[in-house]
Amino acid sequence: MANFFPRWTNWLPLKVLVILFVLGNAVVAGVWYYFTPKYTRVGYQPVQPVPFSHEIHAGQLGMDCRYCHSFVEVSYHSNVPNTQVCMNCHSQIQKDNPKLEAVRESWKTGQPVTWIQLHKTPDYAYYNHSVHVNRGVSCVSCHGQVNHMAVVYHDQPLSMSWCLDCHRHPENALRPREDVYNLDWKPSDVNAKAFVAKYGKPPGEEDRDFSKDDVKLTQQEIGLTLKHAWYVNPPENCAGCHR
Amino acid sequence: MKRIFQHPSEPQGGKKYWRSLEELASTPGFAAALEREFPQGAAEFNGGEVSRRHFMKIMGASTALAGIGLTGCRRPEMHLVPFTHSAEWSIPGKFLFYTSSRPTPRGYVPLIVSTYEGRPTKIEGNPYHPINEGHGGTDIYTQASVLNMYDPDRARAFRQKGSISDESTFEKALDGLIAAYAGTQGDGLAIMMEENASPTRERLRAAVTAKLPKARWCIYEPLAGGSTGAAEFIGFGQGVKARPQLDKADVVLTLDCDFLGSDGNIEMIRGFTKKRRVDAPGEKMNRLYSVENRYTITGGMADHRLRIPASQVGAFALQLAEQIATATGDATLSGVGQTLGKANGTVNFPAGWAEELAKDLVANKGRAVVLVGSQQPVAVHLLGMAINAALGAFGTTLTGIATVSAPASSIGDLTKDINNKAVTTLIILGCNPVYDAPVDLDWRTAQSNVPNVIRVGLHEDETAELSSWNVPRAHYLEYWGDGRSADGTYVAVQPMILPLYGGWSDNDILAKLAGLQKPVGPELVQDTFRQIAGGAATDFDAAWNKFLHDGYLDGSATATERTLFFMSAAAGSAIGEQMNLTALKEGSYEIVFTPDFHTYDGRYNNNGWLQEVPDPVTKLTWDNAALISPATAKALGVQNYEAAGDTIEITVGKSGISLPILIAPGHADHSISVSLGYGRWKTGRVGTGAGENVYPLRTTTAPYFLVADKVTPTGDRGTLAITQHHFSMEGRAFVREGTLDTFAENPSFAKVMGLDEELPKAGNPSLYTHPPLTALEQWGMTIDLNTCTGCNACVVACQAENNSPIVGKEQVINGREMHWMRLDRYFASTDVSTDDSDPDPEMLFEPLLCQQCEFAPCETVCPVNATVHTPDGLNSMAYNRCIGTRYCANNCPYKVRRFNFFDYNQRPITPVTEGIGPLKITASGLHFGPLTEKSSPDTIKMQKNPNVTVRMRGVMEKCTFCVQRIEEARIATKVKAGASDKIKIPVDSFQSACQQACPNEAIAFGDITEPESKVSKMRGSPRGYRLLEYLNTSPRVVYLAKLRNPNPKMPGAEKLAAFEREDKKGGASPMTNGEGDASGGPK
Repeated sequence: MANFFPRWTNWLPLKVLVILFVLGNAVVAGVWYYFTPKYTRVGYQPVQPVPFSHEIHAGQLGMDCRYCHSFVEVSYHSNVPNTQVCMNCHSQIQKDNPKLEAVRESWKTGQPVTWIQLHKTPDYAYYNHSVHVNRGVSCVSCHGQVNHMAVVYHDQPLSMSWCLDCHRHPENALRPREDVYNLDWKPSDVNAKAFVAKYGKPPGEEDRDFSKDDVKLTQQEIGLTLKHAWYVNPPENCAGCHR
Repeated sequence: MKRIFQHPSEPQGGKKYWRSLEELASTPGFAAALEREFPQGAAEFNGGEVSRRHFMKIMGASTALAGIGLTGCRRPEMHLVPFTHSAEWSIPGKFLFYTSSRPTPRGYVPLIVSTYEGRPTKIEGNPYHPINEGHGGTDIYTQASVLNMYDPDRARAFRQKGSISDESTFEKALDGLIAAYAGTQGDGLAIMMEENASPTRERLRAAVTAKLPKARWCIYEPLAGGSTGAAEFIGFGQGVKARPQLDKADVVLTLDCDFLGSDGNIEMIRGFTKKRRVDAPGEKMNRLYSVENRYTITGGMADHRLRIPASQVGAFALQLAEQIATATGDATLSGVGQTLGKANGTVNFPAGWAEELAKDLVANKGRAVVLVGSQQPVAVHLLGMAINAALGAFGTTLTGIATVSAPASSIGDLTKDINNKAVTTLIILGCNPVYDAPVDLDWRTAQSNVPNVIRVGLHEDETAELSSWNVPRAHYLEYWGDGRSADGTYVAVQPMILPLYGGWSDNDILAKLAGLQKPVGPELVQDTFRQIAGGAATDFDAAWNKFLHDGYLDGSATATERTLFFMSAAAGSAIGEQMNLTALKEGSYEIVFTPDFHTYDGRYNNNGWLQEVPDPVTKLTWDNAALISPATAKALGVQNYEAAGDTIEITVGKSGISLPILIAPGHADHSISVSLGYGRWKTGRVGTGAGENVYPLRTTTAPYFLVADKVTPTGDRGTLAITQHHFSMEGRAFVREGTLDTFAENPSFAKVMGLDEELPKAGNPSLYTHPPLTALEQWGMTIDLNTCTGCNACVVACQAENNSPIVGKEQVINGREMHWMRLDRYFASTDVSTDDSDPDPEMLFEPLLCQQCEFAPCETVCPVNATVHTPDGLNSMAYNRCIGTRYCANNCPYKVRRFNFFDYNQRPITPVTEGIGPLKITASGLHFGPLTEKSSPDTIKMQKNPNVTVRMRGVMEKCTFCVQRIEEARIATKVKAGASDKIKIPVDSFQSACQQACPNEAIAFGDITEPESKVSKMRGSPRGYRLLEYLNTSPRVVYLAKLRNPNPKMPGAEKLAAFEREDKKGGASPMTNGEGDASGGPK
């Protein structure tokens, strides 16, 4: 009896299997790499119980971050304001605005407003706000330009490697302390002459002349100068953040 | 093949240090235990009564039926919930500290309490209080008291005759009561209270008495020294209490007085160790003589110790009194001796002991003191006072303070009144007499005969069962109060939180009885403060705020003038009547009732931290046992086994109890010590089923010791969870000691013990590369073995600070306890040749925690870099990286790493029943893992330190040098530095938890690169040595060798802390000396 199948078909099942295996893996890897975000929380924008607009308060009205987040300079947490803080103004301004109903309700009943938590580090990571803002890291480095957000969203990944990027190169984030809460600050805003007079010249640029008005500093130059002047050495070991 | 490192054998000098009798006898079981990383069974699944297969079968079915949901895949929505109104001082994320104090029967302990977002989380001593002089020490009970507050089994409801009622109904009932008794002037009303030095409580009591003058008052404490108070009443008259000033004493004799443990207070402990601090060779140190029946931690500190049955301490005191009377010519003392002289001679004590002791005491006249234990009868106390008077102790080493409480009747008197139907309403504030009253009173029946019993209690316990009203009691962290500390200083009690279950304090009840309103704030205490502060409080608000801020009122210590000893005729006859001078007959056994290390008198029975902290001497957890000497064990034909002991039955009159024995080296023969406070039949989830109740043997006439009618082995065995073998390190000269003379002659004696002399002078190189130690601060610790008393406060403090879970008795038996710190207890013998046991060994303690090795063996074996070195010299542990291989624990020569074999923090350690339909399993909740409910009660979570990760199953953990406190200090420094470069943490600006808790300042922690830091100064001591130096681990912890101060004329003085270098004896160097295989190095 003649062979039904030619000889080359002997290896066919194996070849099919190998090709399927390679293709399958390529699809999985491809989807994994190209279709999933680096960090799933970025862009998270929950609806809050009170439609509070940072854009109006911090942007248009120019309120300082610390009016509401009052303990950011002393504590681990940058606290969410309590109802009393809202009512400081809103007992007089926009008294009947329906958007503020939840706040007035809270003030009347003593039951707190339950805000939805947006930014979150894992329980085993002990992030401290006070040490960052006091050493020249602005809110904007982690939270983005909140003063332009009508509804706040998660701007940066807040992942461990993202933290470490900055801890290894703090010069990319450091700025003069007085501009920490100025979310629109740009390195070019800095008056080079005054800056150099206060903090010294950027390392490696001792010979450069900063006395002219048109000299602009880069973030790198500002950061390195401050890092040097303040002896900024963020921890890169486990115990710095995990206990 | 696994290479087994054979440690070179320990050079056998004059002395052998051992931890258990098995080790001393080198039993095969002990040798096998040494080889293991964890005790046998620690790493295996032991389902107890459930087999693995059975378990899998039922639980598999259960999971299949329950179905598998994918609800876990959604991101949980978390909330931020701010206050509506700002709370004063409160900053989310920051600790807030308040001063307060803890009531104890021996005075108030001044404290600083950390609160976090309104919850108290940790308790420390108040360093500003006069008795603390800059370092606030605490004890284990104080450290663990925060857990008492969060006890999930606390009484939660007002109950009338068992059914739930409410506060307003109770208040009405109380008002009705006051109206009803107004007519009889309070006759028929009785109030039973605990011993408590609170001026406000006393003031309210006076107010109640003014209204209801015929009300009966009873102050009842099962253990806190009725005889001490009675003797002080005879000796000093009304209103004065003795206050030993041990910081002025060069020679201290304790007659059965465990003043470093249950019989003392922080002031005595600190005073004693202050005189024991020796920095440079040639300095002086105090000398402690101890006479006791069982090893206590005081006995362990003693330079000379005499073990005699507790009933013969009086006879010894009399013998000593005669010697002292002769030497000093003190008329009062010799008078006492003459009336009792004839009885002497029936008891024999070691020749020369009393004679030499008397000489030493007399030679130090005015600088010596005799302390008598609260277990001893009034007569011995009076004799002790007479001796103290003859030694000129009064006014120098022994002063007095005013007592706070007015006299009250005893529980015996109250029982008589009840039995005479004279009491119709009984209010019990806290005490638990149904459980712990002397058995001859038959309190149970008596209380049942009182028509109306109102019980205010922390728990619904034995007494609550027989009461008509049960009222939840406020914990001391929940109410406003005040008190007197050990030196009589007026201290504040501040509430840290509102009463969790609406509890009432004693003051609340008494205020109502006095016709006042139940206070809502500090108003009652403020009234007392006004009286006490007097003219100083012209600006009341400022004075009051300063009082709360400091925690005490400056200069308020009560007068110490009335210290004269009146040797009245009554005192003389009391001595004569009560003195027991007969020796124990052969074959008869004395039973000694002792306070329990874990539960005290039973009140801390439901506190898991206290249940699990090993007894310093026996290393027993979760149980009580009958402690007997090796010779007595032989005579009774009983022995100990791995985690078990033969059970004996003790019969006294009609009562009998049986409990397992525990052979305790250094125990007096013919004496059996049993601790009270176990075998509670109505308690919470932790205390249920633990231990045996010993109170049925205890009577009013013999409250502390008696001769048993019969002691017989029952043939059964009882399990005992003992930790003494756990994490053993093969006796390699870990604990080093010498005498004061050795130190003077050869200051660096500790550096040449063990193998330390053989180390290369240039230092060993490491075969691995290590990260550079570049940080500005380098952390290190020094532990002075000379001032460590072994009290275990550090262990409990560490547990409280670092969120260590308790694991339960079964898990402790398997060697899975989670304490990061342990106190190794060593016995030391010079002569063990005869029968492998030494009746009179010395006892030493050594706290052991992660040594933070610079060349850490654990780091090199971790496959996932979960344990790595930081630039400031910490061996850090990243829990979320750990995959649980346990290689690190295996490679740790100090055995300080602990593994979470189960989810101790989230799963119940108590038995749980799970299953479907008829298929049910009952086993420890730990074994069910995720198949049972998460059961950590919310209140327990509230205690946790928010800055320390709560570890889960499968994760290794160990001491971190309190890295959260280091980082907190570093952050605070950087925040303060702001736009400047001043980022070096100020010297000694913070403490580790163990250091802060230690009342003796035996632990110093800090920056070793800073010459001015405490730790650097201590490290420089010539007594310093490091553990297992020859392994080249380069530990960051330095131990300072212990010193003894023996009296060379005392019998047995030459054996004490005998130090002799091997090479001085003419032998070869220890490296080459030894039997065959001890050539050293890996094989």
